[in-house]
This record gives sequence, C-alpha cells and structure tokens, in this order.
Amino acid sequence: MILETRNLSKSFGSRIAVDNLSLEIPEGSVFGFLGPNGSGKSTTIRMMTDLIRPDSGEVLIKGMSVQKYHQKALAGVGAFIERADFYKHLSAQTNLEMLARMDGKGFDNIPIVLKRVGLLDRANDKVKHYSQGMRQRLGIAQALLSKPKLLILDEPTNGLDPQGMKEVRDLVRELRSEGITIFISSHLLDEVQKICSHVAIIHLGQLIVSGKMDDLLAESDLFTIEVRVQPLNEAKKLLDNQDWVRRCDEINGSLFVNVSRDKLGDVTKLLVQNECRIEAVIPKTSLEDLFLSKTGLDEPQSHRGSEKK
Amino acid sequence: MIGLIYNELLKITGRWRSFIGFIGIAILMPLILWGFSYGGGEIHDQYVRQLGDNFIVVGSIFNAFLATYIVMNAFWIHMPFLVALAAGDAIAAEGAAGTFRILLTRSTSRLKILFSKLFATWIYTTVLILFLAFMCLGVGTLWLGSGDLIVFDKGILILDQSEAWIRMALSFGLAIIVMCVVTTLCFMFSAMVNNGIGPIIGAIFLIVIGYIIMAIPLEMFDKMEPYIFVTYFDVWQQAFKDPIPWDRIVKSLWVLALYTTGFIGVSIAVFLRRDIKT
Repeated sequence: MILETRNLSKSFGSRIAVDNLSLEIPEGSVFGFLGPNGSGKSTTIRMMTDLIRPDSGEVLIKGMSVQKYHQKALAGVGAFIERADFYKHLSAQTNLEMLARMDGKGFDNIPIVLKRVGLLDRANDKVKHYSQGMRQRLGIAQALLSKPKLLILDEPTNGLDPQGMKEVRDLVRELRSEGITIFISSHLLDEVQKICSHVAIIHLGQLIVSGKMDDLLAESDLFTIEVRVQPLNEAKKLLDNQDWVRRCDEINGSLFVNVSRDKLGDVTKLLVQNECRIEAVIPKTSLEDLFLSKTGLDEPQSHRGSEKK
Repeated sequence: MIGLIYNELLKITGRWRSFIGFIGIAILMPLILWGFSYGGGEIHDQYVRQLGDNFIVVGSIFNAFLATYIVMNAFWIHMPFLVALAAGDAIAAEGAAGTFRILLTRSTSRLKILFSKLFATWIYTTVLILFLAFMCLGVGTLWLGSGDLIVFDKGILILDQSEAWIRMALSFGLAIIVMCVVTTLCFMFSAMVNNGIGPIIGAIFLIVIGYIIMAIPLEMFDKMEPYIFVTYFDVWQQAFKDPIPWDRIVKSLWVLALYTTGFIGVSIAVFLRRDIKT
C-alpha cells in the first residue's frame, strides 16, 4: 500500500469529525474518496498531508508515518487541498519557483508542469489576474512540481467548466498511466466513476464502504436500469405506482428505474403484463446509487422518493 | 534554509504594508532635517545655554549626530509600530490567505518554515533600522554636516567625530536587537491567529502596558520593572554614556535574549501543533 490510514480519529470540540478511519490505498490506483458535506473528507485529507494532527491513529505513506516523519513521508507526495490559494501579487512562475526552493529542487520542471496544465504562456502573469479555473490548474501544477509518486487531490475540479473538468479527468488518466497513484476527493460522483479504479465512502466520519469500483457496483443491492419502452408515459405511470420502485426518471425518451436486486425481473414483468412494448433493458448502476444507498441519504425522502418525476 | 528565507523576503517585499515604515522614514526624515536646518536655532541656543560659561562654542554644535540623537529619542516609541508591520503578517497572513495548504504539505518541516519566517522578519527589521540610520546619519551629514556630538545626560559628554561614529554604530546595533525583540513578540502572536492586524495590536498593547508600568511611580510597579522586557528597550541610550556601561548593556541583552527565546519557544509550540483549517 502506498497510503494507509490506521484508526484515524479527530474531534473538534465535542464534534467528531473522523472516527477510527482505516483506509488502504493500493499503489498505482486512482482512489476516489466520497462522502456528503461534513462527512470528514477534508479533515481526513488534511491529516494525510499533516495539516491537521489526528487525536489518535496515524497516516502511513510507503510505511512511513506522516506525523512522525513529515519531511521524508511527504517527499514523494504532491497535494492539492480544496482550493488553489497562491501569493496573488506574484506570478505563477515565481510562486512555483518558491515551492521548488522548498522542495530543494531546481526550476527545470516548472515549464513542464505549466505546459501540462496549459498555463505556460501565462507563466509570468500575476496570479491575481488568473481566473478561478486557471488557479485550479496552477494548483494541480504545484502538486506535480516535485514529480510525486502519490498525488492527493481534494476537489480538483471545483470552479472548472466542463471542458476544464474533462482536461483534469484526462490528466488524471495520463498520470495514472505513468504509474502515479492518485487519491481524489470529489463531490462529482460521475467524475469519480469515470476515472477511479477504487473508491471509499465515508459518512459522519466513519468508513461506510471501500474497495474496487467494479466490485462495489456489482455487489450493490440497488440497480438502475434504463428501459426503452412504449408507450413511455403509461409505463412511467405504472412504475411510479409501485412501492418497490425507488425512483423512476424519464431522461431522453428512456426510463431510468431504480430498484433493489430482487425486484429487477418484476420491472419487465409488470410492463409486459400491462402490454407495454419493451425495446431494450440496459443495466445502468451508478456510483450515485451506491453512494446514496450507503450513506442513507436517500432514506429521509418518502419511500418511493420525492425525486420521481 | 537560505532558499526559504529568500522566499519569505519575496513575500515581505511583495506586500505594500512592508514599505510603510520605509516610506514614512523617507518622508519624515528630510522634513525633520529641513526643520533642524532652518528652524533649529532654538535647540542650538538651548544647548549653548546649557553649556554655560564652561565652554566657548565656536560655530554650530548642530550637526547630523545631534540630529540623529534627537530623532532617535523622539522616534523610539514609534519604531515598534513600523517593525511590527512585517512580523504581524509573517505567519497570520498565510493562514488568512490559505497558502499554508501549499506550503505545509511539502516535504519541508514546519520548524524550518517557522525559522525562515523569523529570520526574514529580523532581516526586515534590521534593514528598516539601517535605513533610518542612513537617513539620519547619511542624509543628515550631507545636509547638516558632521562634527562633535554633545550629549546632556547627568552632565555634559562631548564625543569627537570619530568617537561619535563608533557610538552611533553601537547605538544602532543595540536598537536593531531591541526592535528584533519587538518583532519576535509580534511574530509569536502571528503564530496564534489568522489575522495580520491582531498580532500588531497585541504586541503594541503589551509594550504600552510595559511603558505604563514603568511610568507609574508605585512601589509594586517598581518591583516589577526589572522583569519587564520593555525596561531594557532603552539599552541603545547606554552607547552615549561615558564610560560605556558594558555591564548594564550585557545584562539588558541577556534579559532581552531570554524573552526572545521565550517568544520563539511559544511560537514553536503553537505553530508545530497548529491545525490548518483555513
């Protein structure tokens, strides 16, 4: 394991932010770290990077405790935490030079990382003249500066437009192909599903589930299926009236039906019995379904969901 | 470490607030020197009167040394405000700006970062005092000329020009040390908060309290005086006594060094344990 947390706990006053959290991040993986707002994601990431001291437990990077051996443990780590804040009165080039000095390295890698995030031609502009998206990209550039083996990214796509998000996604894939392990936290579940090989979900500071993305989705007891059916409105009405259908959304002429595993066959059975013509049934289990079911965030809504359209 | 200090100096020089002291001195000193040059007759007469019948004064006793001596006495209370401007921001500004998230996640120890910031603020303080010295002595010499320095302190002390230069160098050297203590005090407060103004107010408040305790003639306060660091802030004035009271200077420096060590110790304890939540 390149990164481990062992029984990590942290409280702020009486509020428990992280509760006995143990994670294992395999080398070479792209590890998605998910949780609702206030679940303890940021606190965990800050403990991983030694910004926050845990009350108990420890973080190990390549077996070395971050808390005990900060300098050595973080030597091969690049981190981008939450928001890209730089010395705004200085240029991107000067900002990165300062960080290279801290790493005890030369400036050779600066144009390389700036080119990688598409900021090479703006290197000498002061950061205060950068847009939010450009600052985010500069944030990723600084994380790559020390040629890390482990990249910790906390909400790296915040403030980016769809094109920017795609660029980050492509960059993550590219970095993974270079053998860099990436630990990424994001609230964009679709993004995480697209790029991550592993995922962990925490809620109220506790680990809910962790493992390979494909395994977790396959084991999930909730399924979303895309049903192409005629007549669409009648089929939707039928499904909406069933207690066992958690959600039924009409998107682009198809119905996306969310049911538990044992009710999968009942969907087609119901539609056929009511003389609906089924053209296709496509499994569409999403990370969002897994996330909502595991965190219980779909529970407070009435049983069949207020999200039904 | 030199690279880290250079980084910190870049940050200090990048903040306009750091130049307030320099701008203030650059504006104020020529004005004061101009005032001495054209309106200094009254001070000159006062000095001549005090010299009485014992001396025959030939020419003007009003020169760059005397002007510097008067300026230092007048300016002394206000210098802490100016040197605190950089120290207040040293750590607190990083917390406020969120830049700790990129600094403290790198493979550099917090202790190194802390000391690089401290050394940079000391360098800033030294440069500011040297700038004051340059404006007083350098520009003053060009404007008012040089000569002997006459100091009234429980008697009359006349220092010839070469001796006056040495005493001025000693005085400014001691002044740098005193102001570095102020800087370190402000730095300590800076390690505790995320707001650059708070440490400046905190440091100045403590210094003012010290001056008040020294000024009020109560027996209780008199007993406290030897233990208050502000008591030793006038150590630079010892450079103008004859003979130079080295024992008192050394004692003052020891006390100031102890306080400085204490301030640094608290800064380390706070900064190394500090959770970065911004």
